Amino acid sequence: MATTLTEEELIQSAKKLPEEWKNLGYHELNAILNLYGPNGEIQFEADHAAARQYFLQHVNKNTVFFHSRREQIEYLIENEYYEPETFEQYPEEFVFALYDQAYAHKFRFPSFLGAFKFYTSYALKTFDGERYLERYEDRVVMNALYLARGDQDMAKRLVDEIILGRFQPATPTFLNAGKAQRGELVSCFLLRVEDNMESIARGINSSLQLSKRGGGVALNLTNLREQGAPIKKIENQSSGVVPVMKLLEDSFSYANQLGARQGAGAAYLNAHHPDIMTFLDTKRENADEKIRIKTLSLGVVIPDITFELAKKNEPMYLFSPYDVERVYGVPFSEISVTEKYYEMVDDPRIKKTKIKPRDFFQTLAELQFESGYPYIVFEDHVNRANPIKGRISMSNLCSEILQVSDPSTYNADLSYDHVGKDISCNLGSMNIAKTMDSDDFGASIETAVRALTAVSDLSDISSVPSIAKGNSQSHAIGLGQMNLHGYLAREGVHYGSEEGIDFTNMYFYTVVYHALRASNKIAIEREETFGGFADSQYASGEYFDKYTDQEWKPATEKVAQLFADAGVQIPTQQDWQELKASVMEHGIYNQNLQAVPPTGSISYINNSTSSIHPVASKIEIRKEGRLGRVYYPAPYLNNDNLEYFEDAYEVGYEKIIDTYAAATQHVDQGLSLTLFFKDTATTRDINRAQIYAWTKGIKTLYYVRVRQMALEGTEIEGCVSCML
Amino acid sequence: MTPEEVTQRIPTYQAINWNHIEDDKDLEVWNRLTTNFWLPEKVPLSNDLQSWANMTDDEREVSMKVFAGLTLLDTIQGTIGAVSLLPDALTLHEEAVLSNIVFMEAVHAKSYSSIFSTLASTEAIDNIFRWTREEHTLQYKTHEIIKHYEGDDPQKRKIASVILESFLFYSGFYWPMYLSSQARLTNTADLIRLIIRDEAIHGYYVGYKYQRNMVNETPERAVELKEFAFDLLQDLYDNEVAYTHDIYDPLGLSEDVKKFLHYNANKALMNMGYESMFPDSVTDVNPAILAALSPNSDENHDFFSGSGSSYVIGAKEETEDDDWDF
Repeated sequence: MATTLTEEELIQSAKKLPEEWKNLGYHELNAILNLYGPNGEIQFEADHAAARQYFLQHVNKNTVFFHSRREQIEYLIENEYYEPETFEQYPEEFVFALYDQAYAHKFRFPSFLGAFKFYTSYALKTFDGERYLERYEDRVVMNALYLARGDQDMAKRLVDEIILGRFQPATPTFLNAGKAQRGELVSCFLLRVEDNMESIARGINSSLQLSKRGGGVALNLTNLREQGAPIKKIENQSSGVVPVMKLLEDSFSYANQLGARQGAGAAYLNAHHPDIMTFLDTKRENADEKIRIKTLSLGVVIPDITFELAKKNEPMYLFSPYDVERVYGVPFSEISVTEKYYEMVDDPRIKKTKIKPRDFFQTLAELQFESGYPYIVFEDHVNRANPIKGRISMSNLCSEILQVSDPSTYNADLSYDHVGKDISCNLGSMNIAKTMDSDDFGASIETAVRALTAVSDLSDISSVPSIAKGNSQSHAIGLGQMNLHGYLAREGVHYGSEEGIDFTNMYFYTVVYHALRASNKIAIEREETFGGFADSQYASGEYFDKYTDQEWKPATEKVAQLFADAGVQIPTQQDWQELKASVMEHGIYNQNLQAVPPTGSISYINNSTSSIHPVASKIEIRKEGRLGRVYYPAPYLNNDNLEYFEDAYEVGYEKIIDTYAAATQHVDQGLSLTLFFKDTATTRDINRAQIYAWTKGIKTLYYVRVRQMALEGTEIEGCVSCML
Repeated sequence: MTPEEVTQRIPTYQAINWNHIEDDKDLEVWNRLTTNFWLPEKVPLSNDLQSWANMTDDEREVSMKVFAGLTLLDTIQGTIGAVSLLPDALTLHEEAVLSNIVFMEAVHAKSYSSIFSTLASTEAIDNIFRWTREEHTLQYKTHEIIKHYEGDDPQKRKIASVILESFLFYSGFYWPMYLSSQARLTNTADLIRLIIRDEAIHGYYVGYKYQRNMVNETPERAVELKEFAFDLLQDLYDNEVAYTHDIYDPLGLSEDVKKFLHYNANKALMNMGYESMFPDSVTDVNPAILAALSPNSDENHDFFSGSGSSYVIGAKEETEDDDWDF
């Protein structure tokens, strides 16, 4: 089993460095990772040396030194780096003991990028940005103290869970917890926009407010009337969704979090909205500047009927949201297009245009080639799997949040007439390999659920009342997972193989049980459920049918063995019966529990492979605004197990989709699923992958990535990421 | 005159037929170049303003000089160099590929202007363009290359072109690659990487055509051309060393840049099918630069980090009924 190198091993490894490396800086050493050694081997030692040199040449020199823990804490509170309230919840000796507990783990970053990313983006710095005030252990302790809210046992458990790498809070939480000058702890926001100027203006204002505080924002534009629709009954007045997208794009560019990063936003539109083709064309490389959208992410909501129409090669009708709202008395997004399709086609009161569905899908694929966008939400899959009363009509910037919403109405001065429910989500991810190593799997999941619940309880986004209301009623959280590929490779299982899919199924099956159980325990302790529990399939017990009516167990010996060796109990039908009874009696505290995000930054710090994807490359080239180009070795990769690290482009879309499909059935929200293609792929290959994903019950599709290798004869010799 | 009489009196013109390819390399390179098509407007250069503001005066001056030098080279490559290769083309397809190269060189030259106008004031831009006219090592290499572009030997034209595309650009490319490895001017570096991606193919393709034409040359002439290539490269290398010292000495990077020159000089020779001029011991380029050069579009980035240098246009293909059989 691969383990993290101890400091002593790192020193030994660094001492053995070849002579020509001795004078290199950490960036150069890290880059050597991407160049094969003299015998064609990947030079992992260079990355270890880079991590070590980074501390010697940079971090240690630039860290403020304190003589004692007491001096450090007092200084940081006095100078308004830390909030005193965080510490006031605990006795002083406990706080010191917690620091000792954290430092006793002797944590070391296994990769250069992990260390570099942490110190560049997460560690607390002096206000002039010149020197570090925290080490990794300090940040972990601050998260534990802050999220445990005075519960000493919880604080101790959290320190261990985080520092041992089992649980990793999402970036906004990990970065901000306990700091006095900070953004919000929440990652992600979703806003409805209704078909009136007040709602559009509120949407823009909310986007600015939320971007300033550090979240990604997605807006659903499906309800906006189309280009040429009437305003005050006068025809051909509305300019449609594109000008609104422009306003949003500029808003996101303007608002940034203390200069840390630009705001980021996404716009979703239903495939049957009349502006759909213009919406997509904004991402064309040769689009006119007036309509070109550069940085706003796009998502398309596709109902089942669109696939049926494409199959039959029948025309695809687009419906005026303005007319639909007048006929049905509810916004377009509240209508199931699949259900009402033929009714709307036949209704002369609804203005419609028609396009060819296969052309629509081909255009989707063309744009995904050019820009990676749009994301896709298969809305009927999403709503069928939704245990909560209400309709889900959009997703977020990473396409893993899927929750119900409720429209707001406004007065002419933009004040609220009725505060509806918008969506926020607190994320955090488990490292699958480390969680399987946990001596108490259930307790690890429970601690994570409690930590995420704390984030929800501690968040009150008063600048956007509909978000604050949604959060206070739903207590929604999104427990994610990462390092699936790393774990499988470590255990000698190929990604997407029968055993790989079997493991994914059983792992997520076990997680959902413990997550629900934790939420049920919280509901019992607090005697409080999420708002609307009574109307949910949890309350009716219906949700549990798939777990109580059949037995779930590993299909392969290998997977049964993996769980047995790890000492992880697989929940039985009896366990589910008992949980069902308890949930029906006491309820659960969180409206939503799981969502699997793409995990960029935090998987580097945590030494994981991203999300439940295959690795993009054995040695990944990571480019970020604040980091430049940095090279990241896949966790657990060594020169002897290369065969288990087949990259996502080689693995192909079927195995990825099969893996996600196995996980999807146990996840109440979504999972960010990126599709990877070689540049020999055509739009038809992308369409086939979309069809395959849809038939497998996938809820959402995230980016499409296309890899182009250098033309033979022009490549850089000996470059690891350049070779297959 | 009747139409028949007209036809008899004028030469015969041939229409390009892409269904009959004489040299598969033409199609392969054409496909690659067209999927690689890009415009500078796609790169959010203004995100580099903060990074630019944090640079030292010396660093800013190096940047201005480097980009001005590159602009000059790309200008002549677009207006004189690649154009001069057109009449020597063996096939109509080669002409088509070269015309794509001509256009992209113009895009490159314009890209540098985008960088300038984003980062610098009009006065600073005017000053630096004046500098390109006065800097004699820059003028010297430009003159040497143009001399052969305008000469009457098609193979020497190709030699000059390969040396320009695969060697002379790189003293300039070093700088943005160096900065990007330190997370500075990363969007500018993305744009330069797109240029490098193109130039790598241009140098490779022209070198390939040079080798193809060599088949028709006499052994004596082959020897003469090889000598010419090495002499020209040596001469331009000496000039490039002086240029490198001029530009990079204030930052103490000259020795490192020279290794990069050696590496690329060898690469230029390799493109023409010749052996290396510099031994491995002096081509140990800073690994951060070498790794940063990788022209593959395989880097990973998220929506907070700009668009990256990876981007291709895909081939369209309609779906068939079978695809929808679910």
